[in-house]
Amino acid sequence: MATITQTTNPTSFTPKRSKGQILVDWLTTTDHKKIGYLYLITSFIYFLIAGVMALVIRAQLTLPGLDIVATKEQYNQLFTMHGTIMLLMFATPLFAGFANVLMPVQIGAPDVAFPRLNAIAYWFFNFGSFIAVSGFFTPQGAASFGWFAYAPLSNTTFSPGIGGDLWVFGLALSGFGTILGGVNFITTIITMRAPGMTMWRMPIFTWNTLVTSILVIMCFPPLAAALFALGADRRFGAHIFDPENGGAMLWQHLFWFFGHPEVYILALPFFGIVSEIFPVFSRKPIFGYKTLVYATIAIAALSMTVWAHHMYVTGQVLLPFFAFTTMLIAVPTGVKIFNWIGTMWRGSITFETPMVFALGFLVSFVFGGLTGVILASPALDFHLSDTYFVVAHFHYVVFGTVVFAMFAGFYFWWPKFTGKMLNERLGHIHFWILFIGFHTTFLVQHWLGVMGMPRRYATYLPEDGFTELNVISTLGAVLLAASMIPFFWNVWITYRHGVKVELKDPWGYGRSLEWATESPFPRHNFHSIPRIRSESPAFDLNHPEYAAPEAKAAYREEGRI
Amino acid sequence: MAKLRRKLAPVSLFSTVALILAGCTPEVQRGFLPDSAGVTNHTDRIIGLWTTSWIVLLLVGVVAWGLMAWALIVYRRRKGETGLPPQLRYNMPIESLFTAIPLILVLGFFAFTARDTAAIEAKIENPDVHIEVIGKQWSWDFNYVDANVWDSGIQAQFTGSEQNIMETLPTLYLPVGKSVQIDLTSRDVIHSFWVVEFLYKKDMFPAKTNYMYFTPLKEGTYVGKCAELCGEYHSMMLFNVKVVSQAEYESHLGRLAAKGNVGQLSTEYDRNQNLPGGDPEKRG
Amino acid sequence: MKTNIVILLVMAAYFTVADIAYAIWTYIDTGAVEPIGTAAMALLVILAIFIAFYLYSGMRRTATLPEDRDDANIEDDAGEIGFFSPWSWWPFMIGASSAVAFAGLAVGWWLFIVAAPFALVGVIGFVFEYDRMAHAH
Repeated sequence: MATITQTTNPTSFTPKRSKGQILVDWLTTTDHKKIGYLYLITSFIYFLIAGVMALVIRAQLTLPGLDIVATKEQYNQLFTMHGTIMLLMFATPLFAGFANVLMPVQIGAPDVAFPRLNAIAYWFFNFGSFIAVSGFFTPQGAASFGWFAYAPLSNTTFSPGIGGDLWVFGLALSGFGTILGGVNFITTIITMRAPGMTMWRMPIFTWNTLVTSILVIMCFPPLAAALFALGADRRFGAHIFDPENGGAMLWQHLFWFFGHPEVYILALPFFGIVSEIFPVFSRKPIFGYKTLVYATIAIAALSMTVWAHHMYVTGQVLLPFFAFTTMLIAVPTGVKIFNWIGTMWRGSITFETPMVFALGFLVSFVFGGLTGVILASPALDFHLSDTYFVVAHFHYVVFGTVVFAMFAGFYFWWPKFTGKMLNERLGHIHFWILFIGFHTTFLVQHWLGVMGMPRRYATYLPEDGFTELNVISTLGAVLLAASMIPFFWNVWITYRHGVKVELKDPWGYGRSLEWATESPFPRHNFHSIPRIRSESPAFDLNHPEYAAPEAKAAYREEGRI
Repeated sequence: MAKLRRKLAPVSLFSTVALILAGCTPEVQRGFLPDSAGVTNHTDRIIGLWTTSWIVLLLVGVVAWGLMAWALIVYRRRKGETGLPPQLRYNMPIESLFTAIPLILVLGFFAFTARDTAAIEAKIENPDVHIEVIGKQWSWDFNYVDANVWDSGIQAQFTGSEQNIMETLPTLYLPVGKSVQIDLTSRDVIHSFWVVEFLYKKDMFPAKTNYMYFTPLKEGTYVGKCAELCGEYHSMMLFNVKVVSQAEYESHLGRLAAKGNVGQLSTEYDRNQNLPGGDPEKRG
Repeated sequence: MKTNIVILLVMAAYFTVADIAYAIWTYIDTGAVEPIGTAAMALLVILAIFIAFYLYSGMRRTATLPEDRDDANIEDDAGEIGFFSPWSWWPFMIGASSAVAFAGLAVGWWLFIVAAPFALVGVIGFVFEYDRMAHAH
């Protein structure tokens, strides 16, 4: 009798490579997953760098009249680069990272449409960001004119250092990377879906990647143009943004025409991430799939026509037009929030770490959305513009969305990236410290703004009465920073001692195609793809009794149920 | 489950009562805005819009958070539970409801906002007092246009907490109960004229004049700050606005005249006027 | 394909309405059309229609693809999907040389002139990478 011996799984056999070979592998990779990991790692490093800057800013603001930051000019550099890095070198590339790793797998494709262009986009981001930040290594320091670089403050008369030039051209290069990435994602989604993966069966994360990429190609080119124009003013003697010719308003219009859709570029992919997580841990499909998609498209379209709500106090924009469109965006956003709640409604909810982070996002984002509606009103914005109320608002919406959903995505997809699950207990500790730290830092800033504390102030007077709340905010920031420790510890011990899951669907109720392939991902994503008859193909395969009607019909024919 | 409900009842009763009681302090009643009731002819309108908006928004928030809390508690997976819930994918009536209701709320909010914004921005045809404020790095120049006197300031000198800085700041005087038009412009970069307790600010652009129109109704000293990043000493670009009786206003103008500040500070020596398109005569 | 075209056309329609409303409203409000916003939104209309038209001409020339059919099976698309570059040095080369070139715009022409030939070689090498020698297809 012949015995059948177990053959080793071919994916578990990897020959030992030298460090040089590993380095070359990463420098020359065209694999969308590796490029995605590069984006995720690089953007996370920038997150930490900008986070340290934030801690210095908070330290400086704890008490009135402190001199923790040596000069006010340096303080201006700190908040300029904190904003620039967080928005353009952390959150935007983080979207590119998640989209790169996951979107092709979710649509059943072996890679993106233009793998080498994908790699180019990453290197443009990496090097462009480095150029912009390298201003810190110059004698006059980094750019200090605020991340929105208003003219004429950002011209050479008022900001003469090379840091400003490096900022302009570094961001221009990095922005081209983002545009190329957007083009790649759109092409991949339109042309490389697996058979049966119709547009209306794509996972919500993929839909949001598509809509975000459309936003990218609509709004990053104006930024690139504006940056080159500013660069021409600074370096080549152009007079594009001269105040004598209305240049100050021209810059603001161009910048915010980019700047507002940018924040939806930041938000939408992370809405997509939580839209993947809520169904899995509620054991129900996403509620209102079609209306969610329509709402996302509505948000994207509307977001291109609201930019001047950042300019209400200039006295030179059509207030009612922008107030109207801005308030309208609250409607599809609200639809999304109620759809997420509807996903959980009458579900069977468990509180694993990804779910807990997704809930942290939902709770925080609602409040950020409410303060956004307040700011949409010019009458109220006249008092609140350029105060800590706005700072609090955008940290609630951006941090609340990007950071909470980022960690939710990390904990959720870690087994697909690495083959191992992150530790649950440490994950919960990480969440609670982050949640408490975040709210302590930023909730009190609403009051500070209303009371009269302007943003971008290096210090304030004891007479202002801002001291108490600033102390609380700083303590919160320390807690927030400390929350990174359990996360790093978790990553380390999982890397060292984590058990390989060897399961395609370790959470048990995964819905989209990435849960129908091995953990970690095979080189070209799939050895085999299940039949696609709904937006939850992996779920239909693993739980045929609960499959979507079209899938169920097919399984019944086969006799599987 | 019943035990939990029994514990929830007194908690929710207590929080409702606490909320109602909290609503009694004047600070909460104006939604934590500065004490601006009756300070200018616009502030009461703004306070009203703020508090009403917040009440509606917080109700929406309570609904959203409440639904979340309910779902997390009631629909959690119980120990030993097997199987899956019905895989409901949509419910058109509910989805239409939570699209339509926010839309109606938004349209209502827009209507009130548009009305209030128009009132605040409305031009006063023949203001009693005409002032020009010119922002500069890093302080303020005040031109009292009708009286033909001027005043000028430097940035706050913050050397330590012992000093009484507030009294050293440049101060704009306004007569109470008289309509005011302030022309705003800048000598260099964008600044912003913000009087905290007036609940209003407007940016000051180089080579452009902006306008604000209001009537101060309450005497007092009000804190002012620059509210647009303008360079290194942005945080030191502070000022005061003193709303005083007509008599004291005129005596202040007299003091300025006596000091020799007769005439108007011009934009003649502003920076960057040699740039293309620059013409000091045509500024505005 | 059709879905994507519809999305882009709906966006184009919205941008058209918004642009016209904005142009008219700013004209009434200030006596002049606000040129920057009007031009920007008009360009959005053009971009959306341009891409939609490209997709439409592509759609007209092909049969319904398996990915757009509700009842397609994975086997329907069996066989070679396309060529996917396994690895490449050119992206890193283009990235690095473009970076030095852009830094040269900030730092000085000397740096730009040094980097520009590398960037040019990089682009050409990248474009023709799979048309040469061992990789020729």
